[in-house]
Order: sequence, then C-alpha cells, then structure tokens
Amino acid sequence: MPGELVFVTGPSGAGKTTLLKLISALEKPSSGSIVFESQDLSQIKDKDIPILRRRFGMIFQDHKLLYDRDCFKNVALPLKINNMTKADTYRRVRAALDKVDLLQKERIMPITLSGGEQQRLAIARAIVSRPSILIADEPTANLDKEYAEEIMNIFYSFQQVGVTVIISTHELPSTKINFKRLQLNGGAIQNLISYDQLP
Amino acid sequence: MINYLNNHYQAFLSGFSRFTNNIGASMMMIVVIGITLCLPSAGILLIENAGQISKNIEHEAEISIFLEKNISKDQVDFIDLNLKKNSLIKKIHFEPKLIAWEKLQSKLDIGVNASVSTNPLPDAFFISLNTLDEIKIKKLINKLDGIDGIENIIVDGNWIKKLRIALSLGKLSVIFLAVLLIIVLLVVIGNTIRLQTLTYRDEIEVSKLIGATNAFIQRPFMYTGILYGLGGGIITISILKLSVFGLNTALVKLVSIFGTDIVFKDLSPKYYLYIVVLAMLIGLISSYISARNSIKRLKIYK
Repeated sequence: MPGELVFVTGPSGAGKTTLLKLISALEKPSSGSIVFESQDLSQIKDKDIPILRRRFGMIFQDHKLLYDRDCFKNVALPLKINNMTKADTYRRVRAALDKVDLLQKERIMPITLSGGEQQRLAIARAIVSRPSILIADEPTANLDKEYAEEIMNIFYSFQQVGVTVIISTHELPSTKINFKRLQLNGGAIQNLISYDQLP
Repeated sequence: MINYLNNHYQAFLSGFSRFTNNIGASMMMIVVIGITLCLPSAGILLIENAGQISKNIEHEAEISIFLEKNISKDQVDFIDLNLKKNSLIKKIHFEPKLIAWEKLQSKLDIGVNASVSTNPLPDAFFISLNTLDEIKIKKLINKLDGIDGIENIIVDGNWIKKLRIALSLGKLSVIFLAVLLIIVLLVVIGNTIRLQTLTYRDEIEVSKLIGATNAFIQRPFMYTGILYGLGGGIITISILKLSVFGLNTALVKLVSIFGTDIVFKDLSPKYYLYIVVLAMLIGLISSYISARNSIKRLKIYK
C-alpha cells in the first residue's frame, strides 16, 4: 500500500536482497509475478526496465557512491539521466541535500565523509528524483547504532509524507512507529505482520 | 528536440572530459590512428601523382611514320592530308630527312668528313594521338600501312599501357592495405574503449541501477571514439602535408639541376575531408560496438 513502511527480515540467505532485486527489476522471477501499479514486472520488456527503475529510489549497503565527483554531482546523477534542466537540477539537489542535512558539504568529495554521512548522501541521491518507492538493502548494516538510528529516522520522515519505504534488515528498529514486517525464510514468505501484532 | 540535443551535448562533454582526463593515452591513440591512416593515404597520394603523370604522357603518345627514301613531294603532301583528316591524331610534326640528318650530326658530333657521308635517314612524320585504345591504334596503323610511300610505322605507347596496369594494381593494393588497417584500427580503438568501460565501471553500474539506458551510458564513449578519430585524421593530414612540402622542397633542387618541371601535387581538400570523416567513422563504429558489448556484459549489483 502507498505510504507504508515495510521491513523485510530474515536470516542470511533467506532471500531479502533477492526480493528487493526482483521488486526493482534487477532480476526477473523464474516463476510467479510481481505487480507494481497494475504492471506485472515479470513480463516487463528489457527496454522498459530503466524507465521503471527511475521511479524507485534505491539505497545500497555499500552506498554505491561515485568517489571521483563531489556530493552535489553524486546527487545530481539521477536528474542528469532524466535530462533535467540545470536550474531544476540545482534546486532539487540542494533540497535533497538539505533534507539529509548535508547541504553545507555539497562541494566535498564523498570519500571524506563518515559512513553515516555517506549513507545520507546515498539517500539524497535516491530521493532527488522524487520516487514513489524507496528501496533500501540493509542500509544500516555497516553503521554504528547512533548513525543507524539517524538513517532510520530519515526513512520514517519519508514515510510520513506518503512515500512507500521497503527496507531489508536483520534487526527491527526499537522506535515505536507504524510499520509492517515481512518475514522471509529459505526464499519463502513466512509471514507479514504489522507492528502492533509483533510479540 | 531540445532535450535530445541537450542529452547529446551532455554526452559530448562527458566524452570530451574522458578524452582529456587521460590526455597521455588519448594522444598516443590519436598518433596511432594518424600514422596507421597515413599509410593508405600516402599510397593514394603517390597513385594520384603517378596517375597525373600517366595522363600527361597519354596525350603525348606518339607514332613514328618513316617514309620511303625516294618519296616525291606530292606523295608526302598526300600522306600529310590523310593524317590531318584523321580524328584520332592530335598533333602532326613532319621532319624532313635533311633536318633530321643535321640534328643527328650535331648530336653525335659527326664531322663533314666523317665516314658516313650520305644521309641514311628518311623523311618522317611524328604524330601524337588522342587515345591509347589498342583497337583504335591498330585500325589506324592498318589504314596508314596501306598508303603508298610509307615504309615503316613504330608505335610508342606500350610502356604507358604497362604503367597504367601497374597503377591499377597499385590502387588495388592500397585498397587492400586500407581495409586491413581499418580493421586494425577498429580493434585497437575498440580495445581502448573496452578498457575505458572497465575504468568507468562504477559509474556505469550506478547509472544502470538508477535507471540509465544503455544508450545513455554508451554515448560518452562514442563521442570519445569520434574524438580519437578526429585527432587521428588531423595527424594524418599534418603528416601528408609535411611530406608533400618536404618532397617539393627536395624537388626544387632537382629542378635546378636537371631543368625539369616536376611538382609533387598535394591531395585535393575533398580527399582530406574523406580522411577525417573516415577516421571519425572508424572511431564511432569501434567505440559503439565495444561499449555496447562491454555494457551489456557488465553484471550489476551482484
């Protein structure tokens, strides 16, 4: 459902990353179907995949930043792909950086940022093209608890404004917020329960 | 349309920045292209010049007609009239035996009291032809052979025919060499672009993950390939221009020594345009194939 926050959990090898790859059309399902806005992603043509991916904001465990260009240019990349004008790009990138509290570091190279800041930069890049879904693959796996909470709070703030957020993680957050948990095991969905149904 | 052009402009800027980021390697690449294309281009230059010479010679090809020794003036006039009527004959020159004998004496420095005291030479016509067509020349000779008073006819054009055959063979060899070298360039540029795709692997991967099409990723590499070709073409032209200048400078000395009028002609601007366009096309095609295959093969987010 739009505006939901879903945590995909499960032990290593349960299929969390594979599920996210299937949702974002990085892989095609061998059977079954994935429906996004009435479109079956298992039937999608190769040429339509890039256009579909532009509607998702993706965040990776290893950030996948480009270390040979500054923060501004990293965040501007999706807009460049969308062929956005210079003025719009400038406005949107600064807004995205401001949202993750990195505006003052727009001309800094990402390598000089801390792990938490790099992940925030990756989030800025994911949200700059205003996607309807944010998909994050273990975004806090390599971060300290303090940084991890910071990152999670940013995701909650997007959920509050109606963005669907799907996060794969080993641990559920301790914060009392409204979310759903999709438990996977051995490549299959074990259960889908909401926060208040958790033991 | 503006979006499309803007997309290409951005791709060109990226391609140009990749070209300049590794300027050493880029310069080496354009020198390789330049020198490689120089070989067939120099072949064309030589053939064009040799062709020009053979063309000039063609118009001066001659048939020598030697007349009988005791020919009358009326018979000579009749032969002259016959020759003037023939459309294949461009120029007629009559050499009376007395003048020929005087010329020979002065050339060989034969004194008046020399052992050869009587003129052994006949009257002769020297004619230039409009054509080198063997059949037409044969017909003309047969026709002339039937005229009374003509003793002997010598055709002076066989070596030109041989030269022309050699030139056609030369042209074929240049085409063959050009094809081989173009294949070499396609492989060399393609390999460089493939290495570049590995250098920019992170950027390609991230771009693909966030929705870039293969064409979008490919475009800067194609512009880099075109720039390699453009640079290579310019190098080829520079080498050819320098060679022509150097050869003509050396020929000036020969001219002063032998008093001949030889000039090594430069290729026309049309040929230079072809060279640059061909070089750019080679760069475009090889980078397109190479980038396309490399990007397709690149597995993302493993």
